[in-house]
Amino acid sequence: MCGYTTIRVGRPPRLLMAESKYIRNFSIIAHIDHGKSTLADRFIQLCGGLTDREMANQVLDSMDIERERGITIKAQSVTLFYQADDGHEYQLNMIDTPGHVDFSYEVSRSMAACEGALLVVDAAQGVEAQSVANCYTAIEQGLEVLPVLNKIDLPQADPDTVCQEIEEIIGIDATAAIQVSAKRGDGIRELLEELLEVIPAPVADRNADLQALIIDSWFDNYLGVVSLVRVVQGEISAKDRIILKSIGKTHQVDAVGIFTPKRHLTGVLRAGEVGFIVAGIKDVKGAPVGDTITLASTQDVPDLPGFQKVKPQVYAGMFTVSADDFEDFRDALAKLTLNDASLVYEPESSEALGNGFRCGFLGMLHMEIIQERLEREYNLDLITSAPTVIYEVVTKAGLTTKVDNPSQLPDPSTIGEMHEPIVVANILVPQEYLGSVITLCVERRGVQKDMQFVGKQVSLSYDLPMNEVVMDFFDKLKSVSRGYASLDYSFDRFQTADLVRLDVLINGDKVDALAVIVHREDARTKGFGLTKKMKELIPRQMFDVAIQAAIGGQIIARQTVKALRKNVTAKCYGGDITRKKKLLEKQKAGKKRMKQVGSVEIPQEAFLAVLRVDK
Amino acid sequence: MSSNQYMNVPLSLYIHFPWCVKKCPYCDFNSHETSGAVPEAAYLDALETDLIDDIKRLSALNKQSTKIEKPEIQTIFMGGGTPSLFSANAIQDLLNRLKQHLTFAINIEITIEANPGTLSFEKLAGYYQAGINRLSLGGQSFNNQHLNLLGRIHSSSDITTAFENASRAGFKNINLDLMHGLSQQTISNAINDLQQAIELQPTHISWYQLTIEPNTRFYNEPPRLPTDDTLWEIYQTGLNLLAQHGFHRYEVSAFSQSGQQAKHNVNYWLFGDYIGIGAGAHGKLSSAEAIIRTAKTRSPKDYLKQQKCKSSIIDEKSLSLEFLMNALRLNEGFTKRIYEQRTGLNASRLENFLTAGMTKGLLQQKHDKIIPTALGIQYLNDLLMLFD
Repeated sequence: MCGYTTIRVGRPPRLLMAESKYIRNFSIIAHIDHGKSTLADRFIQLCGGLTDREMANQVLDSMDIERERGITIKAQSVTLFYQADDGHEYQLNMIDTPGHVDFSYEVSRSMAACEGALLVVDAAQGVEAQSVANCYTAIEQGLEVLPVLNKIDLPQADPDTVCQEIEEIIGIDATAAIQVSAKRGDGIRELLEELLEVIPAPVADRNADLQALIIDSWFDNYLGVVSLVRVVQGEISAKDRIILKSIGKTHQVDAVGIFTPKRHLTGVLRAGEVGFIVAGIKDVKGAPVGDTITLASTQDVPDLPGFQKVKPQVYAGMFTVSADDFEDFRDALAKLTLNDASLVYEPESSEALGNGFRCGFLGMLHMEIIQERLEREYNLDLITSAPTVIYEVVTKAGLTTKVDNPSQLPDPSTIGEMHEPIVVANILVPQEYLGSVITLCVERRGVQKDMQFVGKQVSLSYDLPMNEVVMDFFDKLKSVSRGYASLDYSFDRFQTADLVRLDVLINGDKVDALAVIVHREDARTKGFGLTKKMKELIPRQMFDVAIQAAIGGQIIARQTVKALRKNVTAKCYGGDITRKKKLLEKQKAGKKRMKQVGSVEIPQEAFLAVLRVDK
Repeated sequence: MSSNQYMNVPLSLYIHFPWCVKKCPYCDFNSHETSGAVPEAAYLDALETDLIDDIKRLSALNKQSTKIEKPEIQTIFMGGGTPSLFSANAIQDLLNRLKQHLTFAINIEITIEANPGTLSFEKLAGYYQAGINRLSLGGQSFNNQHLNLLGRIHSSSDITTAFENASRAGFKNINLDLMHGLSQQTISNAINDLQQAIELQPTHISWYQLTIEPNTRFYNEPPRLPTDDTLWEIYQTGLNLLAQHGFHRYEVSAFSQSGQQAKHNVNYWLFGDYIGIGAGAHGKLSSAEAIIRTAKTRSPKDYLKQQKCKSSIIDEKSLSLEFLMNALRLNEGFTKRIYEQRTGLNASRLENFLTAGMTKGLLQQKHDKIIPTALGIQYLNDLLMLFD
């Protein structure tokens, strides 16, 4: 016997790819907690993509942050091989989609690679607003939607009412909805059989010239750029010379394969299939999401429609705590944007914080996640300035400009009027929480447009200032409804509003990164709340720190962080200096994460104090 | 000749006595309550073995094949715990044994820490006759209610009595330890404590603010301490009072009559060497190659069986920081020459730190001296954090 052993992990992937009529491409629409990831795990398990031992829970959420927060941020794909009752083996390409309101853009991207979608609804909780919106997106993109009732094992499950909600709110037939319990694994096979029935096979001409859509691209330190693609027609193989149409550059394909969810090389991807390619692209901008790939020899193949460019809703400046890290920060942002086309940024120079970037985000969660990824994956210490939405300013001269940075607001004497963005918000809430949700909407200047009772829920439609919605509305909505209310919103229009810039002064100096735009009538309350919160967040220093809020030249609120009288260890003899040294080093590490503005050291959280002001 | 002398680093001896009648709720030192008598003879044997091992360690550190013969020590400090639980005879015996292994410098300072609740005139006289020439009395407060809250086993009058007995027994050099910032302490309480201490005319007063340390009872059951404003007023009024009565502040919490600084402590603060023997004692030893810290078995029971020593080399970055953490506590600061001699490093390493400290008004340079400003002492931790 020689000592050579082969370790077989799971089922080996089929190197011979399926005929297109045995392919199904689908995504799953579901609200967070409605069990999408568990369902995906069950599919993988049933189809033998991973052994039980390898099945870490929720294998699709591969980024650490996703795993920790239990949410899906980035689209991922898995190819499964399903032995159907008709005796054929089907290739199922499952494209995962994010469930949070901030990431609806990613959803439409995933759907472009699919012919169908599973609408997964919690049989106890009923339909929620984000799924409704995503369902509309799916229907608009011509996908077949198959409703699935999950958590059918729960005692509170009420499938009839939930089916009624699906029919009345979304307007699709729910009589054939499959009932499953992803947790227990019940009904999974039935669901897959129904999926084969309802969702059409891709229409795919494998003899035509290659046309493939880039669904996602990310940077791998060893491979360079990896792209997830849907081959629309023709086929793509290793060694092919390809061209990215919007870039016009040719590359040789190094590797082609699928995720099962492990990465497996297949050598070729044919029309109708979804998989990854690696083509030695080192430049992070070299493989933009939504671009069309064809062979270098068939450059005249038409472009695929691609994706609509997403518009950020929230803007904030990001700065490194240490100026020395600026170049690293620039590189990190470039790498992140490849993977996350919804992040936009341009250089910004702040008097208080130095050089950084003004970044546009889909929402606050997106902003938090970007900051966390930058800090964690790229080892940066960052300060984020107070976030804001975009405002429209009409000058007295009649010129309209958009402002995404409060400090760039023109001189008030030149402003004719200001417009704030208004969203249409659709909220679904169980009847017992209706009162508190309406109160919340009124507090946030909402104007009710519609209210309908459907099943056990109420469907509300409100016009709300975007500023009120993007900051913490979603969290508040959840907390007043014990997590049951759901929200979807989209920008509708700009509307005239009486707005002013609230400046914050630290020891008499205006700190541009702390300025926010607020309604004039709210300014005093905001100023008081903001300075009070900052007082809690700024540690005591060697001198008094005055925190003031001002409108124009007028101070409207003031708080003082009293000086620390002394900061010296009372006793220090020869004995155990090690512990005292550790304490000092800990104190110093905390200090290093603070930004020095003038002579005052301000911690990261204080720049975001505006988000934490209690209403 | 010892290498320490070759390096010109003065050498001291610290001896730890780990037993107390009662553990105080603020104390984080290695001290253990004992109900019966302390095992004097066994402990003395252990200390002697421990000392011999440390002298070997010193030789090894200096790569000397033969033992360094009787290294010279400048000061001895017997701390605790409560060293005064040991009888005068035991202390006499201990000093005799030390002399067999060490050379005592001509002006050697020998201090013993004493709890006023453990002293008689006879014991004090015995200590003095044994060769102890400095007494450090743990008074802490002259207010009986506060002494009680601090878990002390003595009263206010015990302090006065002990002080008078000590003077009668011949002690001319006496330190009084006092704490401030105590629970329920008003400004006048604290000042009254200081006034009573000053009236006794000690040569030295250690006046330090109560701080709550981990692994103490106060840490788990925090007492309500005075407000920051009260603490600050106590601090400032106290500093003025001490200065008015000729007590010169030479370190953050140490005040002395002219010429009466605690030599032993100054040696710590100027980063001198010290052998540390006894349960849980720490030491610091230098050679041209390396500077090490030693730490002995903490548990008295284990220590009596075997005097184990953990030693570690202080790395270069820690060396500078530890030097500064000590030397900048001194009003007079230090010279670059002392820095180089005590750390073996080039003083150019300090340049960035000095610039930063001076820019912030926390440091000044006078001739060859680096001196913390008054603000620098007040915010010493902020000053130290400037060192990178």
